[in-house]
Amino acid sequence: MAAEVVTTPPQVAFYFAMISYVVASVLHLSSLAQVPAWVKHAARWAVVIAFIAHGVDIGWRGVEQVHPATSVREALGFLSWVLVGAYLVLSRRKGLSVLGAFVAPVALVVLATARLSPSGNAVTGLSSLGRLHIASATVGVAVFCLATVVSVIYLMQERNLKSKNFDGVLFRSSASLETLDRLSARLVSIGFPIFTISMMLGGVWVAQREQGFGRIEYPIAGVTWLAFAALMLGRSLRGLQGRRAALLTLLGFGAAMLVLALYFLRRSVGV
Amino acid sequence: MPSELFVVGVSWRSAPVSVREKLAFHDEELEGHLKKLVTHELIDEAVILSTCNRVEIYGCTSKGSPASAVAQAAAETRAFISHSRGFPAEKLSDVLFEHLEEDAIRHIFRVASALDSMVVGESQILGQLKSAFGASSNYQSLGPVLGRCMERAFSVAKRVRTETGISRGAANVSSVAVELAKRVFGELDGKSVLVVGAGKMSALAARHLRADGAALIRVTNRSPEKAERLADEIDGIACAWQDLEIELSKADVIITSTGSREPVLTKKIMKQAMKRRRYKPCFIMDIAVPRDVESAVGKLEGVYLFDMDDLERLVSENLKERSREAESAFSLVEGEVRQFHQWMRQQHVVPTIRSLRSHFHEVAAAEVEKALRNLEKANTEHERQEAMQRLGKGIANKLLHAPTTVLKQASDAETLADSVSQLFSLDSQDESEERSKASALNQAGLAKTAVPSKKA
Repeated sequence: MAAEVVTTPPQVAFYFAMISYVVASVLHLSSLAQVPAWVKHAARWAVVIAFIAHGVDIGWRGVEQVHPATSVREALGFLSWVLVGAYLVLSRRKGLSVLGAFVAPVALVVLATARLSPSGNAVTGLSSLGRLHIASATVGVAVFCLATVVSVIYLMQERNLKSKNFDGVLFRSSASLETLDRLSARLVSIGFPIFTISMMLGGVWVAQREQGFGRIEYPIAGVTWLAFAALMLGRSLRGLQGRRAALLTLLGFGAAMLVLALYFLRRSVGV
Repeated sequence: MPSELFVVGVSWRSAPVSVREKLAFHDEELEGHLKKLVTHELIDEAVILSTCNRVEIYGCTSKGSPASAVAQAAAETRAFISHSRGFPAEKLSDVLFEHLEEDAIRHIFRVASALDSMVVGESQILGQLKSAFGASSNYQSLGPVLGRCMERAFSVAKRVRTETGISRGAANVSSVAVELAKRVFGELDGKSVLVVGAGKMSALAARHLRADGAALIRVTNRSPEKAERLADEIDGIACAWQDLEIELSKADVIITSTGSREPVLTKKIMKQAMKRRRYKPCFIMDIAVPRDVESAVGKLEGVYLFDMDDLERLVSENLKERSREAESAFSLVEGEVRQFHQWMRQQHVVPTIRSLRSHFHEVAAAEVEKALRNLEKANTEHERQEAMQRLGKGIANKLLHAPTTVLKQASDAETLADSVSQLFSLDSQDESEERSKASALNQAGLAKTAVPSKKA
């Protein structure tokens, strides 16, 4: 069931945000090598500017009746904004500014994909419940995304330490393994209840629309939930941590990305 | 009189420790020596820096012409070191170095920034320099120039530390072990340490870990007496060798340094220990030769194993990194040296500028007074105008009289004339004449062009 999509051409704030994300990505990635302190400061400021411009763009589109929970496209743009906001909060802690080298490029790619791809068909029958489902899923996945970035850094730093690679990327700039592991656990514990609520809302919404639960996205979303549920349980009951926890986080987030990709394809190309 | 700085001393670069220890000044001696130094005719200010790696005297002189005075002051300081330390002057000259003027500033800034240290970027020297500065301040051997130079050196050191990576990374094996442990655990607060074996190196490493917050240190050794002794030494607890496997599962950090020919921590033992601790990270530092830990242990999940070679390799990487950073630190220091030297040069001319201004004001005041008297007597407008003209001429003549006489009589009149031209932005006479001719021609041209327009 297709419905007309409200389309608005990209505004100045969008292009400004994109350019700032490009600058931030370049600066953050070069900060992985030994660079003067000003490069790191400049990288952080570039992210701040990108975040503000991105926020203005989202606000502007809201005025134009294109809310973040209108479609998967908008949700993706909003997801990258939440991700960057969460990074800005976390990066004030020692050894965590390195997250920027991952977050800025991810935000750039996600935003570009969301806004420059074909708009496709809008979601039909988008009730308040549907909007709540999309919004909470977006925030939950954004937090999982940050937890995944932290886990990736954990795995890279662990590899450096195990292989005694003292010249390795991140060896000198990253936070300690224990800090990264704790942070990832905390992020998952924040994202999991939000994602659980989103799953419940989604279930009710789909039931209300009487479309059935036959779509492939639903069991994959279930895999995401199960992976993070197992991670939470494992951490609290079995002392699961470190490498195994990081890999499970990657698995859960991979499944979440697959769900998003399928939704995205369905809406954009009409598969 | 202009002030100049000098440095005289020995450091690890120029003299072996056998010489440095003979030249060292003890804290209790400083007062007497500093007071004695500044009683020398040519030495106005002095600081004595005496550490295990250097014995240096920083001084300032403002007597006599700068070039000769500063060299003489340095020579007096050399004689002072030789005399006060009872060290033969001829032997001293082989090891003593000397820096004058800008080189002295450069040396002080580099020392403060730990660029001249044996381990580049080490943090001790700044504290030692501040103590030396404090002692000189207390014993009143510091003045406005050397005092300012030292204060500047401290802020340069701070800049170098914050703006370059010169202090990044530990520079000895024990500190590097702590650095690596921190890469696993972040902070070591509350972490438990197990020392296996009772070697000196493990005691040193354990002390480093304790200083960084490690909570409980257990020591185990095949000989219980040795374990007890080491535990007492490092404020730890001795435990039985038979309990090794249980202790291994409790420890976050393990330091091994037994004299065993066979590995003490095998993969099998550590696998059990890691299972018991639910794969919580465990940092193992094997500083024994031959090694105490099987290399396969390093592959176990949650185990981070480093041996002596790894630690030494990281030390050398860190030192290389510091050397790379030192290059940018040198250029930063160089900029600061230029700025400070510029400030010192300005201090040289300040008294001259002050005298010049006061002389000009005195001349002007005297002439104005004379003119006022003439004005009182003047009855007509013409007489008043003449009085004002005389005032102008009088000031100009008075100010020009002395320099003109000196210029005419000077042996290096040409150089002096150039300086005067530069000082007063004067053009040469030829240029002036050319300019007046050009201006006359311009005026004539303007007059010609003005005629037709009038006609029109």
